[in-house]
Amino acid sequence: MNKSISIILFVLISIIFITLQSTLLSPRNVGYVFPDLNLILIVFLAVYSEVRGSFLIATGNGYMMDVLSGNLPGTFTISRLSAYLLVRTSSNHVYLKKWLIQGLVIFLATIFSWTFITAIFKIKQDTHFTLTLSEIMTQAVVNTIVGVPLFWVIVRLHAKLQK
Amino acid sequence: MGFFKRRTIIVILVLFFLAIQLFSIYQKDKSGDNPLSRFVMTLTYYPQKVVFVSTKKVVDTWHGYMDLVQTKEENQRLREELNTLRQERFQLSEAQVQNKRLKKLLDFKESTYYPVVSANVIGASPSILRSQVVIVDKGSGDEITEGMPVASYDGIVGRILLTADKNSEVLLITDPVSAVDAYVHRTRARGIVKGTGNGCVMQYIEKKSDVSIGDKVISSGKDGFFPKGVIIGTVTDIEADGSFISASISPHVDLNSLEEVVIILKNEDRVVLNE
Repeated sequence: MNKSISIILFVLISIIFITLQSTLLSPRNVGYVFPDLNLILIVFLAVYSEVRGSFLIATGNGYMMDVLSGNLPGTFTISRLSAYLLVRTSSNHVYLKKWLIQGLVIFLATIFSWTFITAIFKIKQDTHFTLTLSEIMTQAVVNTIVGVPLFWVIVRLHAKLQK
Repeated sequence: MGFFKRRTIIVILVLFFLAIQLFSIYQKDKSGDNPLSRFVMTLTYYPQKVVFVSTKKVVDTWHGYMDLVQTKEENQRLREELNTLRQERFQLSEAQVQNKRLKKLLDFKESTYYPVVSANVIGASPSILRSQVVIVDKGSGDEITEGMPVASYDGIVGRILLTADKNSEVLLITDPVSAVDAYVHRTRARGIVKGTGNGCVMQYIEKKSDVSIGDKVISSGKDGFFPKGVIIGTVTDIEADGSFISASISPHVDLNSLEEVVIILKNEDRVVLNE
């Protein structure tokens, strides 16, 4: 029962986050200083990997980004899945549950995710999509500031529903 | 999951090469029409529509209050405007009759009109990587197919990139992937209007062409997507680009505050050869 509730909760959070990110918090509305809620949730699922079905939910989240960002197949799904796997590798360490470390993980995961995507475009010599270092750094900082309190809220919500 | 923990780096490298392969497929075939994409679009349609309707209600209430404050002054201004428009309408009807007569005289072919569907912009791309994409609340259920041109009453907006049953993605003309075959309205100098992310640039204009700052740029209809003669924007800067001229274009439509658009129901079957 708890497992089903957990999955339903994170599917719902995924839909709410992607809706907010494609409406009120869309880069077209708030410019480059917008929180990437989708990536924050994926990092959360990796840090708290005991959440059932987290791998599939993380993949689904990446795919939703691919479709809504002008249908770029695999770009976000794979880059975010890689970020998920990288964070999950260290998720057994107790210190990952400390907010300062979580902030650092969100910051590094954002940079990793964009470096991954930028490397694909560089290799394929596609000049249509360009991102500057300052844009990536800005997003990493914003994600960290928004991500840490969001982690706290989701943990409390998850714990409440598990009782 | 133990496998991933031991071999994370190898798995990530494999995923990286997979992503490169998928991107190559995307570069060759840009139509990403598959049931899973359509499912994601439909899944996000209802929450996006709820956000759109509720924010619209708040904005409309605020505007309603503001409008009430300025009603008297606006009423006076509109009466004056109405008088001017009445005069203009009379002159236009005279010109229309004359135009019809002259067209008949020259055996001129009437331009083609396409049916349109109006739609609301309910969302936008959630990523900074491709922010020049918006989501509208009309889809394949309204006879909309990929590639159809999208405009507003002010000019060209973009074209349909992906459709689901109830909503569609629109690639704006400011997206770097977008390209529109165009003319300079005054001199008929031809070029390609490409997106730059925050504006447009008209490339491949012949060096001998006459182009000036302030010239209006319209679609030529030769790309098979956009109808002929729809305004794209105004030339704001000109510079030499090798053996061509390149002109910066400021789009006529304010794409940053786009709320309503019209989708022109024009597909390849309906393309007229003389466009």
